[in-house]
Amino acid sequence: MLEVTDLHAGYAGSEVLHGINLQVGDGEGVVVLGPNGHGKSTLLRVLSGLIRPHSGTVHFDGQDITGWRPDLIAAAGLVHIPQGDLLFPEMTVLENLLMGAYDRRVWKERKQRLEHVLELFPWLIERREQLARSLSGGERRMLAIGRGLMAQAKLLLIDEPSLGLAPAITERIYASIGAIKHTGLPILLADENANHVAELADRAYLLEMGLLVRECSAQELLQDETLLATYLG
Amino acid sequence: MAEFVQAVWGGILVGSVYGLMAVGLTLIWGALRLLNLAHGAMFIVGAYAALAMVAVLNLPILAGLLVGVIAAGLSGFIMHVVFIRPVLGKPGFDTATLIATVGVSIALQAAALLVFGPSVKVVPEVMAGSFTVGGTLITAQGLLVIAVAVILFVAINLFLRFSRHGMAIRAVSQQMEAASLMAVPVERTYAIVMVLSSALAGLAGVLLSSFFYLSPISGFNPMIQALIVTIFGGLGSVRGTIVAAYVVGTLGSFLQVYLGASWALPGVFLFIIVVLIARPNGLFGLAEARRL
Repeated sequence: MLEVTDLHAGYAGSEVLHGINLQVGDGEGVVVLGPNGHGKSTLLRVLSGLIRPHSGTVHFDGQDITGWRPDLIAAAGLVHIPQGDLLFPEMTVLENLLMGAYDRRVWKERKQRLEHVLELFPWLIERREQLARSLSGGERRMLAIGRGLMAQAKLLLIDEPSLGLAPAITERIYASIGAIKHTGLPILLADENANHVAELADRAYLLEMGLLVRECSAQELLQDETLLATYLG
Repeated sequence: MAEFVQAVWGGILVGSVYGLMAVGLTLIWGALRLLNLAHGAMFIVGAYAALAMVAVLNLPILAGLLVGVIAAGLSGFIMHVVFIRPVLGKPGFDTATLIATVGVSIALQAAALLVFGPSVKVVPEVMAGSFTVGGTLITAQGLLVIAVAVILFVAINLFLRFSRHGMAIRAVSQQMEAASLMAVPVERTYAIVMVLSSALAGLAGVLLSSFFYLSPISGFNPMIQALIVTIFGGLGSVRGTIVAAYVVGTLGSFLQVYLGASWALPGVFLFIIVVLIARPNGLFGLAEARRL
């Protein structure tokens, strides 16, 4: 589904990712674990086209999407739920969701997509006419995920879904992501904390200083306590 | 009573005129954060294009109206592709586009001067005729301007609120990065805004140049008035701009009728200054966030 080869990328003058190799298969849940500032968000931003890579290739769903514009990558089905939610603050919950279905082909099916997303997040139904800027942190996160699901995604990129949330809400968010994964949609999740993701992930990569230093199954990861202590505190 | 009818009629008419020009400015500001100083040039492009159709090709004014709107929209598109798009998202975007739009404006005015000469022209009315209500002369063209303006204001609001492309314009203006992650082609959305806004200025140009004289510089005053209305309404807020257009138009008209023409402009400015002191972001400009 997704294949990343020798990817180098970063910001003006400084390279953050020094040759990433990574795969996500059909229906697979893959998590990239690593401390803050080591390149998790940069990796996802390169995959969704927000940052152009310096070198390397990204293949998705049988196409070479390296260097594509973000709107074209999204239309191809690689949907990025960004860190910090990036909601449309002056639009209602419903309008935010509808924007997720912007692509012409998806727009025609927006009613069915909306029903599907509201089934997963029934809480959104009551708030549909509320402006996004008036929502709480947990509500914003659910809306951001729901908006991403409105698109006809073939692979979801999710960046630190627990960031800034209270523990009780964090659990609900991961439960919803688990439910999404059970529908067969492959997910690439970037996270700091291994505890929540073990049930979602089939495989894990450890990202350190812009390099994937280790690849393992989720079970291996949880059992390897030295590793957890070293990388994930 | 006669004075009152006169003041109301004048207020609605002038408000519609201000609004037609100002909505385009506010759309561009809201979406691109760009102060388009070529907006007045799009006004004369529309008016001269219509005039050329009528005076040179002897076509009916309705055809002229259509061509004027298309010519202005096309000019906006070309300006966007040539001058705006290359600097999108680059450092110095504000100054570069400010200077570029002034440049486009000067170039179009010079072109109008070369082609049509310095003498003032009048674009024929789309609808001729008039009648009197309570001593006030109501022209058919005036009624047309009001009707067109009101229909367009409603249509633009519905477009922004419910249509796929309209919602995309709001999305891009509020959170550009997220919009692109939702598959919105940001640059094309900007182009749509530029074309729409310029076409509105062109429409205003054709309709108003039958009331006022048309000359190469006659787009300047409507643009400045529109700019004032836009700031008063809250830059980037379409609804605020429309309300502000009618408030300013009506206030000016009442001052003119009851206190005399020399009071209209100073009175309006005083009012706007007082409101802006109390609400620095304008009538509807709730801080930076409240936009399209």
